[in-house]
Amino acid sequence: MTSVSSTSTESLAEAINDPAPSGWKSWLGRAYRGLEMLADRANPILVKETRQALKSRQFVITFLVVLIACWIASFAVVAIVGPDVYFVAAGAQMLLVYAVILAFPLMLIVPYSAFRSLASEQEDNTYDLLSITTLSTSQIVTGKLASAVVQMLVFLSAVSPCIAFTFLLRGVDALTVAVLMGYLVLASLGLSILALLAGTLAKVRYSQVLVSVLLVLMLAGCFFSSIAMIAGFISESYSFLRDVWFWVGNLAFLTLYLTTFALLHAAASAQIAFNSENRSTPLRRIMLVQQACFLGWMTVPAIDQGWEIINMMLFVSAIFSGIYWYAMGTLLTSEWPHLSRRVQRSLPQSQLGRTFFTWLNPGPGTGYMFCVANLTMLMIAGLLALSFAPTTVRGGPNNEQIFFFYTLGWGYIVLYLGLGKLLISFARRFIFVSLTAGFLLHVILLLIGCGGPQILSYASSSLQFGREYSLLHITNPIWTLIELLENGAASIEAWTVLLVIGPAAAIVLLLNMRAVAVEIQYHRSSLPTRVAEDEAQLHPEPEAGPSNPWEAEAENDE
Amino acid sequence: MSCGEHGTRDRVNSMINARQPLIELRNLHRYFGETRAVEDMSFEVYAGEVFGYIGPNGAGKTTSMRILATLDEPTAGDAFVDGFSVVDDPDRVRRRLGFMPDYFGTYQNVNVGEYLDFFARAYGLRSDERKQAILSVMDFTQLDKLANKPIDGLSKGMKQRLCLGRTMIHNPSVLILDEPAAGLDPRARIELREMISQLADLGKAVLISSHILTELAEICDKVGIIEQGKLLAVGTVDEISAKTEAISRVRLRTLEDPQRLLGWFALRGDISEVIVEASVVTFNHDGDETAQAILLREIIEADFSIIEFASKMKSLEDVFLHVTEGRVQ
Repeated sequence: MTSVSSTSTESLAEAINDPAPSGWKSWLGRAYRGLEMLADRANPILVKETRQALKSRQFVITFLVVLIACWIASFAVVAIVGPDVYFVAAGAQMLLVYAVILAFPLMLIVPYSAFRSLASEQEDNTYDLLSITTLSTSQIVTGKLASAVVQMLVFLSAVSPCIAFTFLLRGVDALTVAVLMGYLVLASLGLSILALLAGTLAKVRYSQVLVSVLLVLMLAGCFFSSIAMIAGFISESYSFLRDVWFWVGNLAFLTLYLTTFALLHAAASAQIAFNSENRSTPLRRIMLVQQACFLGWMTVPAIDQGWEIINMMLFVSAIFSGIYWYAMGTLLTSEWPHLSRRVQRSLPQSQLGRTFFTWLNPGPGTGYMFCVANLTMLMIAGLLALSFAPTTVRGGPNNEQIFFFYTLGWGYIVLYLGLGKLLISFARRFIFVSLTAGFLLHVILLLIGCGGPQILSYASSSLQFGREYSLLHITNPIWTLIELLENGAASIEAWTVLLVIGPAAAIVLLLNMRAVAVEIQYHRSSLPTRVAEDEAQLHPEPEAGPSNPWEAEAENDE
Repeated sequence: MSCGEHGTRDRVNSMINARQPLIELRNLHRYFGETRAVEDMSFEVYAGEVFGYIGPNGAGKTTSMRILATLDEPTAGDAFVDGFSVVDDPDRVRRRLGFMPDYFGTYQNVNVGEYLDFFARAYGLRSDERKQAILSVMDFTQLDKLANKPIDGLSKGMKQRLCLGRTMIHNPSVLILDEPAAGLDPRARIELREMISQLADLGKAVLISSHILTELAEICDKVGIIEQGKLLAVGTVDEISAKTEAISRVRLRTLEDPQRLLGWFALRGDISEVIVEASVVTFNHDGDETAQAILLREIIEADFSIIEFASKMKSLEDVFLHVTEGRVQ
């Protein structure tokens, strides 16, 4: 590059060679430099998008609309209530109005802007340019999210004087307002990361349009349902906020929220990451943490209400966990089976590491085993709880039903995930099967399992008509398990079902073992010399200092 | 070297050629279903070299450039930038590479200074280092007077300069420029050409594609001719020309009756397509430069009075058309 000239970019040049200011100017200078340092460390996308937002018409218009809506609402209420404003506690009603006004940009505009911000990178051909910078995919997603947070803060600051006004009207306390605002911010953040994930899914124009429409419908649904929730919370806040279990529930919700948020963030980053990167292990780690948090929180009521309830709580956990691991399993078993050389460089090396962490390596085989291992742990925990502390809860499923629910649930998930994985492996011999296609194959398989017997029973007059459950519907896990819980083990001939599903699951599991064995044989590959040299240059090892005073003295003498 | 004024570059080349190449394609393949966009492509570009990528539309130029820029992955084979694999170490490659695609890729509501500032930040440049880089790039691309101008208001030539500026904001050792001169007016083309030459003089390896062969001929040290995903020839224009075609067109002027010369030519087997215009005789000679020197000596020894003997240098167009057998789309 040529040398620097001082033409009309003097301002930049001055900024570089800025002489030290004196007096009050020095304070300003320090503050300016402090802000500069802050901006230097800020995410580049946040800086760029804040600059863009400040100049964008859409942001200014939305901001003004929110502000005007708040003013109109304030004037309207004061005009309607009239002189009674001194006696009536209208704060709660006003808070509802302002919260709904605020929920509109927070739950619709901000998440949709986040989606558009990522989608427009694809449309304007800037995504390629962005992806070849040294920004990581995680930084890109975080930057987009951070600019959504900035917008959120601007909207919050616009409505904050009005929220303060609700105190003057009485009928609402600070804690209610703080909790409500917290919920709104969390909802907005959660929807924004979901919108960003949607933005990474839509890569071509027609899918962008489809995803965009679906997203708007979902956001609108969330917004309208939030109105009822806000109203409910405000009216019941007095009793809610004084109940310990409300706070415990909120803490549990927050844990679940944070882990889901991390999962969505990692998923969005993985979606835009380069193919050779390890995109699966971070997701699997978060899944494990999420599972642990969920199970942990489900045992909390047992501490309060005695161990009799633990069975019930584990049973409820099993329902959600089963759905969760099946859903995650459909994606994990659709991963590409070959590990890139880059991934192979970071595989676990020690015997202990290979034993425990191989299941976190990318690949459909390890993914399948990861799901099966988690499900098995859940089933064992449930069965142990059942044997040590049989359920005594009235009105719920009995011990026999719970036993069959665990075992059959495990069998069905292992069977369907395993069959889906075998089907994907077979299809990959002939065609390229993407992650989405793999997921769809799993869905189709489940639909065939559920709908096939139903069609058969309708088609054949000799077979029992489809309204009644029979062994013909053994391949329908949903109906079988619901029938088990509603009408007991005898209604589904539970032992027969178990004797069919159990061995079938075991056979499918064994059939998958070959592919699993291939995947676990991958070993860590050594770092290429050129990479090692670069790494040493980028992150040089600190020089070893003297380990005792005599060594230091000797060094000084030298 | 076939073309261009490459004074400094010769020195840089001779110093650096002994080391490892900055760009290396090793048996690169890229298939899109049945379509073989790139097939078994291998070549190397060293520091200080400008490598011209020539080929008709759909030949695989952009695909291979995108692989080098870590925007796509090869089906087989590998590509290396400064010794790092684009597949295994894309993050290390990105620090060393600047890619200028054949589209602008600009943001709304952003001015020239902010645009460069964003990319400088995105490449991890901090504080004064970033400001210095922006100043240097603006100075180099002569955008310094337009720092506060919105990008939307820039002319095509200025946008192209800005994109070149963005490409070199982190001072990469490798530049990949896909059709940088497309749509530019002649003046802007000349300026861009000068900038690229300067970058090569600074020791950067430049891979450039263009449809305008005269543009490439002016600045390239080496060219690669690509068609239907295959690299048909690599080297300097002279090297490719020598490898692919032995026949050259010779122009000769004599003081005597050219008909006597024609009779002498008729006895030789290496001369064909003779045309006589007054005292000027042009003909095809089947042989390299050494054979032409021998021919000249023999003509003089045969007692012909020759006052001009010139072998026409082949242009890049000639070589390209010959290599691709005229199948340009």
